[in-house]
Amino acid sequence: MLTLAGRYATKAQQEAVRVNMGLDKPFYVQYIVFLKNAVKGDFGLSYVSQTPVLELILERLPASIELAMSAMCIALLFGIGLGVLVSLNPRNFISRVIMTGSLFGISLPTFLIGILLIMIFAVYLGVLPTFGRGEVIKITEGWRTGFFTIGGLSHLILPAFTLGMYQLAVLLRLTRGGMLEVLREDYIRTAWAKGLPSKMVIFKHALRNALIPVITMAGLQFGELIAFSIVTESIFQWPGTGNLLLTAVYETDHPVIVAYVMVTSIIILFVNLFVDILYGYINPKIRYE
Amino acid sequence: MRRIRSTIILIVILGLILTTFTSGLAAAKDSINVAVGSPPQTMNPHGSDSDANLGIMANIFEGLLYRDIEGHLVPGLATSYERLDDLTWRFTLRQGVKFHNGNDFTWEDVKYTFNRLKEPYPVSEFLAFGGSIESVEMVDGDPWTIDVKTRISVPYFADNLHQVFIMDKESTESRSIGDIGQNPIGTGPYKFAEWVKGSYLKLTANEDYWGEVPPIKNAEITPITEPSTRLAAIVSGQVDILQDVPVELFDTVAGHEDVEVVTIPARRAIYLGLGNKKGSPTSDIRVRKAMYMAIDEEEIIEKVMFGHAFPAAQIPDEPTVGYDSSIRRFPYDPERAKVLLAEAGYADGFKITLTGPNDRYVRDAQICEAVAKQLSKVGIEVELDTKPKAVFFPEVDEHILDFYLIGWFDGTYDFGRSFTKLIHSVEEGYGGLNGSDYSDATLDKLLEESEEIIDPAERAAKLQLLNRIAMEEKIAAITLHYQEDAYAVYKGRGVEFTPRADTWILFREISINE
Repeated sequence: MLTLAGRYATKAQQEAVRVNMGLDKPFYVQYIVFLKNAVKGDFGLSYVSQTPVLELILERLPASIELAMSAMCIALLFGIGLGVLVSLNPRNFISRVIMTGSLFGISLPTFLIGILLIMIFAVYLGVLPTFGRGEVIKITEGWRTGFFTIGGLSHLILPAFTLGMYQLAVLLRLTRGGMLEVLREDYIRTAWAKGLPSKMVIFKHALRNALIPVITMAGLQFGELIAFSIVTESIFQWPGTGNLLLTAVYETDHPVIVAYVMVTSIIILFVNLFVDILYGYINPKIRYE
Repeated sequence: MRRIRSTIILIVILGLILTTFTSGLAAAKDSINVAVGSPPQTMNPHGSDSDANLGIMANIFEGLLYRDIEGHLVPGLATSYERLDDLTWRFTLRQGVKFHNGNDFTWEDVKYTFNRLKEPYPVSEFLAFGGSIESVEMVDGDPWTIDVKTRISVPYFADNLHQVFIMDKESTESRSIGDIGQNPIGTGPYKFAEWVKGSYLKLTANEDYWGEVPPIKNAEITPITEPSTRLAAIVSGQVDILQDVPVELFDTVAGHEDVEVVTIPARRAIYLGLGNKKGSPTSDIRVRKAMYMAIDEEEIIEKVMFGHAFPAAQIPDEPTVGYDSSIRRFPYDPERAKVLLAEAGYADGFKITLTGPNDRYVRDAQICEAVAKQLSKVGIEVELDTKPKAVFFPEVDEHILDFYLIGWFDGTYDFGRSFTKLIHSVEEGYGGLNGSDYSDATLDKLLEESEEIIDPAERAAKLQLLNRIAMEEKIAAITLHYQEDAYAVYKGRGVEFTPRADTWILFREISINE
């Protein structure tokens, strides 16, 4: 009530606000009203900024998706790339270094990675910016992207690495495991024996088969990258939805919190559905008949 | 094989080249970037009385009066004012002022603004102040002279006007409350340019400003909530000024060669509220005094605040009307405290719960812990109950606490107003932040007497008396310390910045000498 009526409102004024907001009605009436509006995409007004909550979230969503996509690309590129590299010479020194490094990626908490990266690249080396999104280009009203400016890209590097580090390590280990297994298979030996070029054997025959669990994993975690980048976003002051949620929690801005949970669950739901469908295309063996 | 490896190396090298190019983007000479700790919430000038919002809006909007950097009231949109009688205030308005949308500033805007203050959720947080306004009228048909009548005597009426920003009647009436809060239109030295929430808020100089057009043309306010990121941002020169250097990181920042730390004693006093319900131990003055004397404020300042606070003997700060420099803190004397407790019949001590916020003031929860530890040494068993401000303040509002930590500074520089909110017995319009339902008839009567005095000097003397009795005789509250505000300024660009006691960041007061 205090948030709504202002700290200096008298009891009577607070009561007026209560009635005005419909908070005097029984909770089930309030809930039905909420459901009715939510279906229409109306999650109400933010207590703090007095603007529609959905607008607030949609305004922030592109930043979060951009960050999540970059993190995913980094994780896929480096995870699979290094995974293949390691699996080919599992005992060589570089491979051992990479594998040990991947353990750090899995076990270090995100906020520590973020702060360490800021310290090294922004404070000591001074090559990358510490916070924010940098220069953004407005594509449409409410959709800005940092992909097309150098400033935008340089702001993206550290947070994307921070967010993608865990995924990278997981995908690396998954790829390595899968590759080591597949490389022992008879058909790979046959391929080598046929004298196929190594590129062909590794990428076409081995990697393709090793990738199935990797893709599943990557897909399942993409939704989570969008939804749960709260820590990374707050460290780098990334203007995404995670940051919005955190601020909303501090300010007890309930409509924002409720709408955020709804929107992210819908996103995760759809990403998972999409991955399930994609799964069938990548590996025809598991198509539902 | 080799090709894969070289591709990866190539990508890494490309990435590094790309970034070295970008980091050298130097800011333009007349631009400035300020990092703040708490993100601005709204640009609706009456929608929030928090300084995090007012301090930014003060660049876009103006009140009838303005406070200069020393805290003195100077003309703003009104060129002069006087108090005709206890209910009437006369203002002469400034002519030739235009709003950012081109509309002329007229007395209608003032009338509209003052009426708007009365509207509750979600328009105004200045309800009590708005409610005290009876009417706004032109004098003798002259649209540049107005009389404002209040319902009751409000001696500090003018002292609040620097933060009651005047809005444009036409554009405010025609827009939704959400739009008003997103796209502010004022008369101030800066125009609102763009606000990407969570990212930045940009202002540009108002070239048509009636006063001096400020030298800094582009100003950017960036909220960075994470302390370590804020630190990195200032040390790397990405921002020019950083507000709220955390006390625990103070030495790290101050020790950095590229950064200068500027401090200013904050106006905010931190104090402990203490109830005096009949029959409770704390209704006995001796017990209150014992608790006061059992708290070692020097230790709190040194160990908890890392030396960045100043002992407070009273709630108001020096420029506030009602501040009395003769008030002294009771000395730290645990032995005397034990004697006093024994005299009051609590030789074995008693139990009390200390409630406080843990995310509102500098090191608030840690201060509570220190107080609890110190009180336990004289036998008072303190149960700690620290919680987020979102939970704590509603409890204050319900006046259900026994013993609580809270901070206060008065935006109107008036102890009379502070007293009505903090210590006055709880009744309609009074004691809103009196969290323990403290009540003392003598003090209340003194305040009421002060409200009838029109002569400012006489009233100030009365308020000083009230302050002295409340602090020394009644121990209405146990004051701890005034906080210190610390700002970090990046040295590289020659930014000249003097912090304001009210924590507002006014870009017209900042300059860059390169």
